[in-house]
Amino acid sequence: MSADQRIRPLLLADIDEPKLATLPVYEARGGYQALRKALSMAPEQVLQELEASGLRGRGGAGFAMGKKVSFLPKGSVRKYLVCNADESEPGTFKDRELMQKSPHMLIEGIVIASYAAGIQTAFIYIRGEYVLQADILDEALAEARQARYVGQSILDSSHSLSLVVHRGAGAYICGEETGLLDSLEGKRGNPRLKPPFPANQGLYQGPTLINNVETLSTVPAIISLGGQEYAKLGTQTSKGTKVVSVSGHVQRPGNYEIELGIPSREIIYDLAGGPPDGRAVKCWFPGGSSSPVLTAQDLDIPYDFDSLAQAGSMLGSGAIIVVDESTPILDVALKVAKFYRHESCGKCTPCREGTNWTVQMLERIAAGEATPIDIDIIASVCENIIGNCLCVLGDAMAMPVGSIIAKFRDELQSSLRQAQLRLGEIGAQIIASESALAAQGAPIASGVPQPAGPYPTGEGAIHMEHSL
Amino acid sequence: MPRPKEKIITFTIDGIEVQAPENSMLVDAAKHGDVEIPVFCYERKLGNPVGACRMCLVEIEGLPKLQTGCSTPVKDGMVVHTLSERVETAQRGVVEFLLINHPLDCPVCDKGGECPLQDISFGWGGGVSRHLDAKRHFVKPLALSEKIAIDRERCILCYRCVRFSQDVSEDHQLVLLERGAHSYVATFDGHPYQAPFSGNIVELCPVGALTALPYRFRARPWDIEDSGTVCTYCPAQCNVSLTIRDERVLRALARENDEVDNGWLCDRGRFLAEEVHGPARITSPMVRDGGTLRPVSWDRALQQAAGILRRAGQRSAALIGGQATNEEGFLLSRLMREGLGSPHIDSRPAGRLPLHLLRQLSEPCLQAKVSDLEYADVVLLLGCEPQLQMPILDLRIRKGIRHRKLTLVVASERKSALDRRAALTVRYAQGRGEEFAVALAACLSPEQRGDVERLAAEAGCDLQSLAKICELLRGSRVGVGSSPAGEPAAGQEVVILWGEALTSGDDRIQTAEALLDIAESLNLHQIEGAGLLEVPSGANLRGLREIGALPNAGPGLCEPTVAAGEADRREGGSRIASQEEGGLGFAEICSALAAGELTAVHLLRCDPLADLERPEAWHQALAKAGVIAHAAHLTEGVSLYADVVFPAESHPEKEGTVVHPDGRIQRLRPVIGNQGENRPEWLVIADLALMLGLDLQVDSAPSATAQLVEAVPFYEGITLQEIGGKGVRWQEREAAAAFPSAEGARAR
Repeated sequence: MSADQRIRPLLLADIDEPKLATLPVYEARGGYQALRKALSMAPEQVLQELEASGLRGRGGAGFAMGKKVSFLPKGSVRKYLVCNADESEPGTFKDRELMQKSPHMLIEGIVIASYAAGIQTAFIYIRGEYVLQADILDEALAEARQARYVGQSILDSSHSLSLVVHRGAGAYICGEETGLLDSLEGKRGNPRLKPPFPANQGLYQGPTLINNVETLSTVPAIISLGGQEYAKLGTQTSKGTKVVSVSGHVQRPGNYEIELGIPSREIIYDLAGGPPDGRAVKCWFPGGSSSPVLTAQDLDIPYDFDSLAQAGSMLGSGAIIVVDESTPILDVALKVAKFYRHESCGKCTPCREGTNWTVQMLERIAAGEATPIDIDIIASVCENIIGNCLCVLGDAMAMPVGSIIAKFRDELQSSLRQAQLRLGEIGAQIIASESALAAQGAPIASGVPQPAGPYPTGEGAIHMEHSL
Repeated sequence: MPRPKEKIITFTIDGIEVQAPENSMLVDAAKHGDVEIPVFCYERKLGNPVGACRMCLVEIEGLPKLQTGCSTPVKDGMVVHTLSERVETAQRGVVEFLLINHPLDCPVCDKGGECPLQDISFGWGGGVSRHLDAKRHFVKPLALSEKIAIDRERCILCYRCVRFSQDVSEDHQLVLLERGAHSYVATFDGHPYQAPFSGNIVELCPVGALTALPYRFRARPWDIEDSGTVCTYCPAQCNVSLTIRDERVLRALARENDEVDNGWLCDRGRFLAEEVHGPARITSPMVRDGGTLRPVSWDRALQQAAGILRRAGQRSAALIGGQATNEEGFLLSRLMREGLGSPHIDSRPAGRLPLHLLRQLSEPCLQAKVSDLEYADVVLLLGCEPQLQMPILDLRIRKGIRHRKLTLVVASERKSALDRRAALTVRYAQGRGEEFAVALAACLSPEQRGDVERLAAEAGCDLQSLAKICELLRGSRVGVGSSPAGEPAAGQEVVILWGEALTSGDDRIQTAEALLDIAESLNLHQIEGAGLLEVPSGANLRGLREIGALPNAGPGLCEPTVAAGEADRREGGSRIASQEEGGLGFAEICSALAAGELTAVHLLRCDPLADLERPEAWHQALAKAGVIAHAAHLTEGVSLYADVVFPAESHPEKEGTVVHPDGRIQRLRPVIGNQGENRPEWLVIADLALMLGLDLQVDSAPSATAQLVEAVPFYEGITLQEIGGKGVRWQEREAAAAFPSAEGARAR
């Protein structure tokens, strides 16, 4: 299938329509018709449609959305719906565009999902940096309330929903669903131990449905089309369409809605235009910076959940980051590792210490102060992190870094060798200049420069008034 | 609330079939098969596991990933591996991670030798470090509070201290700041960590990051020994393990006893070394000579005291404070009653209650125990403040609220630390606790008592809140108090924690009756796990009452019998009439001393000026009388008025028994020798009795225990072995049937 034969987009169909973010334009394009249809059905029927669609969560884990809803206890317990709009994964910017340009689609999806699950309180937890998008959501929500799409007795039905937009304070970890719940409750955003899963004990200990923006935004399309019809799109296990954010060394970076299962090469080359002329793909992250890297040989893998998992990576949030030959792989590894060290919450040991240690070692490689053994140690540290942490943040660093070591060990070794040579040259230069100065009779001002460790003296040191 | 029932299941760990309670966490269940799963962050006492340290990773068949043993409830048929290569690699990895930022300064660390991080590194670690980079640095050590130092470099961020502060003591002062590898434990804005239970975090810390300043650099684990005893600073009587080096108590650790303290200890009980070894301790007998107290020999002091008592004879009195043991109180009562013929003995500073009320209030079926506070449906605090009077109960009530949906009602005259956790808080006017109890009783059974509105106004509280309390106490049931006989006992488990001070005024008899009325209308006699729990004003006042240190009760709350003392016969035996049968109580002794009707007073761990109300009256009384005092410190009354001072033992030196307010008989064991020239108090009393012509026939503390067990019918057969390390509640033994239940229980 070529780009020209693509399916009619569902989410991005009208995305460039001017003022789609306002209610009249959204309604003119058929908005809130799905909600009317849903409200005319029984909640169980809506749930059936969702389950029939086979929609898998678009946030990263890829868990079947309908199944998630069905896990919630039935009955009159106080349940919550939380929309995870804390889109922080490097390379991912699909939710941003959806919320900014089509906020009503998200709101409509939330109202339908809450109807299916019998939920009357919902939150949109949006990352703090999305100031514009949060403002737009607030405005859209006000419009929707005015038009009685949200609030008491929605469209004169028996369904009521209170919906609140909550802005985060800027931490990647608050995108992890249980960290998000803690943060929403006003606590430090640390992941919780699972089980209990949020479907049983989530926000304020109540059963909670947590879904990504894109997942919920897909709900109106599913109701309009019908679950069966939607399920015809995509592959056997990855149904429907997906908004893919393509970034990095491509000529046309941006969001593209694709049918799941098309070859990855089509996305990178046909849609995004491939790397600048004359350069080739060195590696690419298929699902955000936390997915293990794939190489140019993997470009023909179909872009869907299972094919990517078979290739040893994952679809994740659907963010493709392309790295071409112009970038040293060591820089890529260091960039990824530093990001996750900075964002580790510090609660569990392997992630807190492992991310920090990995950065320290990669920095030593870059400075030429490491030996090839350090590359082995990094690989082993990554192995000790994977699967042993409280949440998946540790894995999010260890998997890409581990895959880079596995696939680009030769390049890392040559980078190390070059850095060692550079370091040697700097030393030789210093010695030469010092002896030249000494020959002139000048006092020697400084010795060998101290390497700047990752923790210069005093950093992170805390001074209290009551020191002993 | 039903107590959790244990179902025993069988699971397999490392090839061994092990039986353990179902749903206990794997790390606990593994211990039943002698398998140790290492942990840092897990601590049962702290409540729900957090799974932060990842040390306890184990392999469970059927699950693809390694699981944390601290948070996995064990199920029947589970197959667990802790020795597989996968597990060993993961655990070695975690130890390595923990050590990369740990300074490894064990040789100068107080924790060295008793450090879980050392032990686990040794047992589960790789033995070598692959970490070459710079470690994390912090300024250290810092004073987290006056008593606690924090060394953030040693900290392994296990969250225990923070969880204690947030979830157990709920002082919410300790937090983690920053993120990732930069995280550190701190208080908001660097304020000192000041809380009544702060010392527990030192004991919880699995590394040397939190150390107690009084213990810092005082000893290494191989210099010390730990001995168990019971703290008698307050009625909570927490079980402690004292660390001894060279006959000095260096620190106190909690000795977990779920029925008493749940494994926590308050700061007063923990930082006791100053009180035991401080320069203010009295370490030799003293006699007032030329107006000042001077150290003298034991012979001289005993003779002087014997002289005073001999001269006073029947006109002597004894006041006994809460720090005295059952044995001391019992022997002194015998000395007074048998040796001197005086019935004037009291240990209830709140004032005398008629014997039938005393009996009814401590009836076994009405007695709530400490663990009931946690499982009750409703706890009513009536005129007491646990955090000040029995601190450890504060934590127990919080636990009940947090984990078991306990409803707390606070009724007090001033702010309580538990107000914020209470479903309902009611304040009555200052000093109107007695009126309040009467009003509450009336509100609960209006047909029995008159005008509730008037009574509420007298108590200074509004009628609505009174009605609300009743509503909460009664729960959803209706009219159970008057339900026809034969119906099964219905109603909520209500525990009423009431302060002794409630029954201290002139209306105390009415108040005690009101308490019993409340209990009856809530059916507390019949409901398992419900009842009354008194907060006495002194540590062992319940024990002293039961062994008969009261003016109107002898051992076992029987009618007292007083023999005419030899010394008194020549004075013609003029006994002072009391308002009732028996001897005089605290207040009457005070006026009788001032009036010259009594001429000597024996103070056993009691200083009226420091402990009691109306100090002006006591100044007059003590100035006139011959005063013999057993004291550990020179408190005001002792230093001003005592003619003879016997140095008293602190609880680490003491041997004997005490009784918890819920009836648990506990054992004090001497963990250090007597300080200075001190002698055991039982011996001093026995020697004194001998000089007065009475052979008490005790030659050791256990023989005194045996004597009093014989004298109290409902203690029958209790031995020190049976009491053991965790104590025994006499109500739960067969001999409890011998308790003198009040005749026609509700007769007045």
